[in-house]
Amino acid sequence: MVGTPVLFVAIPLLAAFLIPLFGMIWKESVRVIPGIVLAYLLVLAINLMNYVMVNGPIVEVIAGWAPPLGINLVFSAFSGFLVTLMVFLGLIVWMYSYRFKRNVDFEPAKKYFLLLMMLITGSVGMVLTGDIFNLFVFIEITSISAYALTAFYTGRDSAEASFKYLMLGSLASAFLLIAIMIIYSQLGTLNMADIGSKMHLMKPAYKIMAIIFLFTALGIEAEIFPLNGWAPDAYAEAPGPVGAAFAGIVVKAAIYASIRIIYTLFDLSGAYDLLIVIGMITLIVAETAAIRQEKLKRMLAYSSIGQMGLVMVAFGMGTEEGVFAALFLMFNHAIIKSLLFLSGSYLVYNSKDKLIKEVNGIGKFLPITSFLFVLGSFAIVGLPPFAGFWSKLSVLTAAADSNMLLIIALVLIVSIIEVVYYMRVVNRIYFFKKDESVSTQRPTLNALIAMITLGAIVLIVGFYPDAVTGFLHRASADLMDKAGYINDVLTLN
Amino acid sequence: METIFLIFILFLGGAIVTWMAGKLGNIVQDILFLATILVPSYLFYTNVATGYAIDFNVGGIELSWGINAFGWLFSLIVLGLGAFAAFYAVSFMKGKERRGAFYLNFILSIMAMLGILMSQDLISFFIFWEIMTWSSYIMVVYNGNDVQRIGIKYFVFSAIGAYAMLMAIVLIKSMTGSFMIESLISSYTSFSYDMQILIPVLLLTGFGVKAAIMPLHVWAPGAYSNAPMAYTSIFSGSLSKMGIYGMVIVFTTMLSYVPEGVWFRGVVAWLGGFTAVFGTLWAIKQDDAKKLLAYSSVAQLGYIIVGVAIGTPLAMMAGLFLAVMHAIFKGTLFMVVGAIERQTGTSNFTEVTGLIRKMPWTFVAALMSIIALAGIPPLGGFVGKWMLYESLITSDHYLLVIVIFFSSTAAFLYCYKFLFGFFLGQEEEEWAHVKEAPALMVVPMVILAGLTFLLGTYPGIILKPIANGMQTLGYGMTQGQLWDTSIILNEWGNQVVLQPILYAILGIFVFFVIFVTIKGYKNTRYVTTKDISSSGEVPLAHENLTFSQGFFQPFLRAVEPAMRRQIDKYYTAIANGLESLFDFTRRIYTGNGQTYAIFVIVFVVILLIFKNSIFG
Amino acid sequence: MDSIWFKLLGVVVSFIVAFTVGMTYMGLSRKITARVQNRKGPPFYQNFIDAMKLGSKTSAIHHGVMQHFGPAFLMVSSVMSLMIIPVLNNGMWFSNLNFHGDLIFLLYIMVFGPLGMALGAGQTGNPNSAIGVTRGLSQMVGFEIPWVMALVALMIQYHTTSIVDLMNIQVESGTWLIFSSPFAFIAAVLAMLGMFRYSPFDIVGAPTELASGPMSENGGKYLFTMMSSASVFAFAKLTLYVDLFLGGASNLIELLIKTFVIYMIPVLYGVVSPRYRTEQSIRYFWGWPTFFGLLAILYAVFF
Repeated sequence: MVGTPVLFVAIPLLAAFLIPLFGMIWKESVRVIPGIVLAYLLVLAINLMNYVMVNGPIVEVIAGWAPPLGINLVFSAFSGFLVTLMVFLGLIVWMYSYRFKRNVDFEPAKKYFLLLMMLITGSVGMVLTGDIFNLFVFIEITSISAYALTAFYTGRDSAEASFKYLMLGSLASAFLLIAIMIIYSQLGTLNMADIGSKMHLMKPAYKIMAIIFLFTALGIEAEIFPLNGWAPDAYAEAPGPVGAAFAGIVVKAAIYASIRIIYTLFDLSGAYDLLIVIGMITLIVAETAAIRQEKLKRMLAYSSIGQMGLVMVAFGMGTEEGVFAALFLMFNHAIIKSLLFLSGSYLVYNSKDKLIKEVNGIGKFLPITSFLFVLGSFAIVGLPPFAGFWSKLSVLTAAADSNMLLIIALVLIVSIIEVVYYMRVVNRIYFFKKDESVSTQRPTLNALIAMITLGAIVLIVGFYPDAVTGFLHRASADLMDKAGYINDVLTLN
Repeated sequence: METIFLIFILFLGGAIVTWMAGKLGNIVQDILFLATILVPSYLFYTNVATGYAIDFNVGGIELSWGINAFGWLFSLIVLGLGAFAAFYAVSFMKGKERRGAFYLNFILSIMAMLGILMSQDLISFFIFWEIMTWSSYIMVVYNGNDVQRIGIKYFVFSAIGAYAMLMAIVLIKSMTGSFMIESLISSYTSFSYDMQILIPVLLLTGFGVKAAIMPLHVWAPGAYSNAPMAYTSIFSGSLSKMGIYGMVIVFTTMLSYVPEGVWFRGVVAWLGGFTAVFGTLWAIKQDDAKKLLAYSSVAQLGYIIVGVAIGTPLAMMAGLFLAVMHAIFKGTLFMVVGAIERQTGTSNFTEVTGLIRKMPWTFVAALMSIIALAGIPPLGGFVGKWMLYESLITSDHYLLVIVIFFSSTAAFLYCYKFLFGFFLGQEEEEWAHVKEAPALMVVPMVILAGLTFLLGTYPGIILKPIANGMQTLGYGMTQGQLWDTSIILNEWGNQVVLQPILYAILGIFVFFVIFVTIKGYKNTRYVTTKDISSSGEVPLAHENLTFSQGFFQPFLRAVEPAMRRQIDKYYTAIANGLESLFDFTRRIYTGNGQTYAIFVIVFVVILLIFKNSIFG
Repeated sequence: MDSIWFKLLGVVVSFIVAFTVGMTYMGLSRKITARVQNRKGPPFYQNFIDAMKLGSKTSAIHHGVMQHFGPAFLMVSSVMSLMIIPVLNNGMWFSNLNFHGDLIFLLYIMVFGPLGMALGAGQTGNPNSAIGVTRGLSQMVGFEIPWVMALVALMIQYHTTSIVDLMNIQVESGTWLIFSSPFAFIAAVLAMLGMFRYSPFDIVGAPTELASGPMSENGGKYLFTMMSSASVFAFAKLTLYVDLFLGGASNLIELLIKTFVIYMIPVLYGVVSPRYRTEQSIRYFWGWPTFFGLLAILYAVFF
């Protein structure tokens, strides 16, 4: 072991505080430090992941108090996988936005990277924490930096989007706090493993109230319909890489939290059906709304929401296959949707309204960016031999094994809608005449590297899914093993 | 390394290298392109024997590639036509934009089709199927005409088909625990009744889309006519045959084990019959050669589907023989249109006329393919149609015979329209400059047209692979050869009863030609098409005597009631209705933060109200 | 191989018979039509005179290769049809080249000629020719339906696709098919009206309107070929009807009587009929004739 899970929270948080200080000495350091930090964390995460794959989960105790009393971090196959993914995406986003605009001022860059580090701290914390109150804290850290990043362009629209996010985010915090209070009042503990082991002691009425508030609170963060009103605006108005960070990092953390709560904390079988129903509704509403969008990023946002709905459906199946499919879907979505946001924001770089019709004929001027966007589109609608196909296949296989014919049919019908709106954009990029008034912006080298890395992963996973399936199988087995999790945490001394 | 892997790596690598090679110069790119098509084909035919199979594992899924005699038969269509079309394409694409993308997708399509034929498991089958779909999609939108309508329609229908297939695949997996086609076939009879119905329905939908069976055919006219013609010749010639390939497997394996199979056969055969009739009627109406051929393809695929769906040994043989013939003559015809479009800039009958003296070789290719298409002896189409009729009569499908006969008689109308519109009629000043297409385009066309003659005279050449393939599918050979069941074949192919007729006819034909023409040809002089009998007046050079508007108007007036309703319009109406509905769901997101907050509250309230029924 | 040469000899002989009989019949029809219309009319051998005149002419101009091929196509089709149809039913003389399944072959070969002719007409560039061709092909699609239905009904009823078999069945049972499958006969005769292109279905080559339509650019030897091909084809068709429905003929005299009776149907029907437009004639063929065709099939399936 070369490090401990606590570093994932401590180092970026420290970096976030140090960025302004170092910035006073050497201006370039505000850009460089996050990269170094994230690169280190990625190496650490991969090392820990390798360790975990062999030796089982690492439970880290903070300040010497053993669970259930103390605060603990759990780096298991499941959470470790997500942490690795998040840190990797963080690195990609950093690389992409290293010089997003060629001559950015020092001041915005400082804010941007500071907030990005906070965002990663919060999200990684949400995944690693084994304590429900700490979960609340990390959600707040994530949310606050997310609000600020949404309003980063300081325009009227971004301020409005940020305000909507803030409003719903506050509701989420309130509900979360209520739920935590209910649980604490009933069980007298905040440790997740402890709660899970004692859940049968809780009175059903309280249990149901707690899960409803928890589900609503996390649902707001995880973009579940009808709680996701903030999402389209926030994605559309935030800078492109932030959209990628939202889709790849923040939402993944929120999904993790809701799944952990439903799988580990509570023992209500009805919750699984609820996940399926809500997920299905989210999927259908989001995809049908996406087809009528006029703005590129908004379309991607709805598509992102839809994918989260599908992830929920897969988790709701409650089988190990379903969990595997959901994790695969999360992985692919994180990679592909980030690729789409990153390349998409260059396609509409100089446009004011970021309309879809402004990408007409841009394929000739931005060949690589356009190609990557098309690759992402093909992958996200599940065309083989790209990455998205394997996750779609595993979702459908899992559904078929659970005898959910209707779900399969609905998912596939919705996929057709998804195909339509992505292909419309692809057609526009390559087969339309370019509007003379639209000026194109060549991506910077670091942005190209970031996008090509993601594109390469899409292709690698597409041709060789074994590259990730091993981790995913371990991670899904880990999530399903509720007794094991409780045991690992509570027997630690 | 295994040869199969080498073939696919060569295809894939070659495709990418060709795509990237644009900067190295056109000649290099062309040579790379041809090499990428030809070298793997050569390897395939020399090193991969039928019965060869290899298993491997990807992502925890057992995959198996191999080839059997039936797939080998279709590989002739794919790689044979593909090689001809590739040579044609090199010349066709000269000086056009985005050659790299064209070559890439051309190669990928060929690779995907070969992959489909070699897939022994459903997952690789589906993967190659989808690669075929999207590579052909890019070709459909390649020219940039009306892509949002035609392209999206093609993709949506392909997606409907593919996802129906995917649903079947995952259901099969959950029932048999394996993705192997073998295990599907062997355990099909043990499925529940519902699944025995549902699985074939889904699979046939998937294959039906590619085979352009009614009512799933609406993408075909637009897509076929919109793609570059060099590609359409394999699009219509080979790609649509993949649907037939799948259908044959479904019909001969799964549906022949259960009593309900009879119903499936009946329904699909009749759908094929209707496809043939309406495809033909719409083909007659078209003024654009590409559209005409596209509808004609739909109609011809209808015949093939009829034969395949009836499924008696003779009908199956007829269907497969027609499939091979259709690949050859329709591939040629699309090449002809491509050549004309390249030389004149249009493919519209109302614009271009009288090319026979300017493009004689193209005319010869067109004439022979049209004769084969119309099913006139002695070219290849005749043998196939004959077997089809005979099989329909011997299997008691009397009404279907009439339907098919009607459509093939009506096919003469568009056959004539095609030949007359381009090659015959008035020779106009406007097209005086037109030259014959480059040799690289003409030679593949003429060779393919010659093949129709060869296969019409010696159908045994292709019937042997067909018979071998059918044995793989479980058609037993009781005595002699499979094709002995047909009257025409043992009199035409093996024995010597009909061939004297053929040669006698040819003799008389030659006699009359000599009698009428040789002397006249020496003594008479050629006059322009303005020099005609027109009530004593001499038409002047600028007077337009071209008859091309409203061709077959009387016939169309007669069949107008049948063509008033168009299934395409219903689909469009449904699509528009759905878009409006989706616009409604879009409005759920009002953009108002207060509404969103209310949504959250309502959500909580609903959960609270129904908490007992949800969490029990 | 000598049997093949023997058969070819039979073909040549039946060609000469068909040419003579066809020409005579056409002359007779002109005479009869004239008499009905209260004219004197040409002598019945007028067609031979016309043919000789046309055959001895030479042309000065041509419009290209396809124009040369067109009439030859037509002739080949006629001869091929004739070769398939057995002329007499004793199986020795003029049985020609028939084989099992010749009925289907015939269906195909009969439409081959018009298409070849149409190609020839197309190259002349005369718009009237092309218009005539479109009308002819359209009308052909019209009458093929009842015609095929009639033949399919016979195939169902007697489980054979061979003309000789059908003739043998009639000889053995002693009843003609006109009695044992009457509906098929009605459908076939109504379809025949279109095949002969006499009035009311003569819009294809309407002389005044289209300047004889497809034939308008052809003169001399071309027209001669067409005329002789038409008479051979007429004989072939009439013989086919006799073979199928009237029990065949055991000698030439019987054949002549029976074919003449059949021939009078389109001639006399045409004399008293005005002309249909193309779509009208198509609709006509898809009306009662098709109805009788369906009846014939039902009859064949259930009885």
